[in-house]
Amino acid sequence: MSIKSILDHKISRKSFIRGMPAVAAAMAAAPAIQLAQTSAAVASEPETRPGYYGAPRTWMWNPNANTMVDTSKWKKAGPYTIGFSNASISNAWRVAFQHGVLWSAGQHRDEIAHLLVTDANDDPSKQIADIQDLISQGVDILLIAASTEDALDSVVGRATEQGIPVVMVDRKVKTPANYITYVTASDWALGRLEAQWLCETLGGKGNIVMLPGIAGSSVAEIRIKANEEVFSKFPDIKVLEKQYCDWNPATGKSVMAALIQKHGKAIDGVLADSALQGYGAIEAFLDAGYKDGEFPPMTGGDVARMYQLANQHNIKMVGIDYPTSMGITGIETALDVLKGISVPDKVEVSFQVVTSPGADTISVKGDRHLLDHVSMSDPGDLSPSNGLPAGYNPSTFNPDYPK
Amino acid sequence: MSAITVDLRRNRLLLSYLIVAVLLVLLAVAGGLLSDRFLTWRNIGNLFQQLIVLGMVSLGQTFVVLMGGIDLAIGSLVGAITVFLANFLEWRPDLVWLALPLALLAATAVGALNGLLTVVLRVHPLIVTLGMSSIIFGATLMYRKEPGGSVPRAFADIAYAKVGGIPLSAIVLVVIFALAGLWLQRTRTGRSIYFVGGDREAARLNGLPVDRIVVLAYALSGLCAGIAAIFLTARTGVGDPRIGAALTLQSVMPVVVGGTILAGGRGGVLGTFLGVLLVTMLNSLLNFVNVSSYYQWVIQGLIIIIAVGIHTTRRRY
Repeated sequence: MSIKSILDHKISRKSFIRGMPAVAAAMAAAPAIQLAQTSAAVASEPETRPGYYGAPRTWMWNPNANTMVDTSKWKKAGPYTIGFSNASISNAWRVAFQHGVLWSAGQHRDEIAHLLVTDANDDPSKQIADIQDLISQGVDILLIAASTEDALDSVVGRATEQGIPVVMVDRKVKTPANYITYVTASDWALGRLEAQWLCETLGGKGNIVMLPGIAGSSVAEIRIKANEEVFSKFPDIKVLEKQYCDWNPATGKSVMAALIQKHGKAIDGVLADSALQGYGAIEAFLDAGYKDGEFPPMTGGDVARMYQLANQHNIKMVGIDYPTSMGITGIETALDVLKGISVPDKVEVSFQVVTSPGADTISVKGDRHLLDHVSMSDPGDLSPSNGLPAGYNPSTFNPDYPK
Repeated sequence: MSAITVDLRRNRLLLSYLIVAVLLVLLAVAGGLLSDRFLTWRNIGNLFQQLIVLGMVSLGQTFVVLMGGIDLAIGSLVGAITVFLANFLEWRPDLVWLALPLALLAATAVGALNGLLTVVLRVHPLIVTLGMSSIIFGATLMYRKEPGGSVPRAFADIAYAKVGGIPLSAIVLVVIFALAGLWLQRTRTGRSIYFVGGDREAARLNGLPVDRIVVLAYALSGLCAGIAAIFLTARTGVGDPRIGAALTLQSVMPVVVGGTILAGGRGGVLGTFLGVLLVTMLNSLLNFVNVSSYYQWVIQGLIIIIAVGIHTTRRRY
């Protein structure tokens, strides 16, 4: 990712410069992650063009050294054919993410001749065949969101061996040598911040339930490990249960309903790593007769509905979106590789910490408040951190891209 | 009279094969017109490399359907065997020679157990195999929730290896299908599978060991699932309890598209082979023309219904 693309798409030049003190502070305070509140002013900046604004939690923010990958050996003349193998579009996050990829390809028509898209329906076996099909079609580069980190490892490695560069986006495979770079947001930071916020909100004592995503996907497993790092510092926080919810609202609701049956009011806090199952969990509490003010504090992010429900029922929450805009960054990163521009071995896309009113804790403060992040009239399945043009509506968005 | 019936039956089957073959040619021509890379050697090799897993589970399903049953435990069984293999090979990568026969043995045993339960309990195979599927899946998840394990590179290569430019897996598949076809046509036991599927009571009255044949058909289905799991493990390099989830229903599609009657007794492995080719080529083509996989589902569903519709309508004459 080039500096230019950061300035063009991720954050405005002004907020980037304004955010710099925060970056410097975070770097100075390494290895502890410090979240300065300086960017609160940034949040109110009017969003007049694509991309969203705020604290630059990108690879610039990495408190450690970045490893830059020299891509000159992949350099070739355009226009390019890009193969995009998506794990699925089985939830609102994945739909917005794919919209980002398609829209971004449309913005780079001068460089991209074809964007070939496959969808594996979350089936690793199908995704292997998809990737082989894309290779057969002579793609110049593969952009892959892996359905599982292990099962795709081998086929991704074989693509690289055949001389096809691979950029992973959203979900990677096991062996780093098998791909050039991984476009992501820091699941480690996300997992730590959400767990830290929950533990501090509970005063360091209480029973919680964990509702992670899909078993075996790198994103879900890293977040769980990051959560557990934090829990290990709070001996009085007890994890009652950990149940995978597949990032699916219906599963989140039924799992939470069963947990409420089992543990009732003993549940002091809910750690959902995404709003996809998080809003399902809120609905389960509503069905169980919880009144406004009785809800345990919850974590989430990713889709508008959870923020809206939290606002409506006065639920304490912290939300960190795993930005769907990484689809846009994925295309830009793939283009950088083909143009021979160096990329960091991990491209972090900026995320923002969102808190409900009065929910800031000692170490986790909101970059923006709930209603600055979403409005009550947004469609429930809107991914707020989408980076797409203003007025984006996932149900009607139909981006034109080079097919 | 019976000679004429047999002849008619054979013609019907030939007609089914012909329809699928024509569809295949149409699909290939359409693919060639829509993309200049579809009919390249590279992509055809790639297509044949993708056949083995669906091919093996569909062959297993063919035995069971011909015999008048159905096996809905295939997907879970494949997942369980991949988990067994990947974990075993992670523990002792040098014992591939032991792991593979063990995997096949275990898969065959589970299949035989399915058959035994339908025979002993006299419960519809739909229920027995569905229950077995749930048991296998649950037991596998108890052992391993997430994909994991690993395989030695030499083992992984069997899924990608080529002999004289032809994928090894495709050669294995063709040989197994040919043997299965010969066995069904030319041996007493093979033919008795048709007989049991056609009319179980008549077969019993004729002194055929019906129960043993039922168990045999399910055992063969298990064995096929085991072979599919070996190639799947080699392809992915891990064991994944969920990886077979879609395979159960997918295994039925080539069977019915290929003209094998769900009620049993009629059909054959050539039709299944053509069906496997058709489904694999169709999915690949839809990828080539950049069509959402939702359409792939719709089109697959349409093909099943139309195929079964054609076969049953013709039977009414």
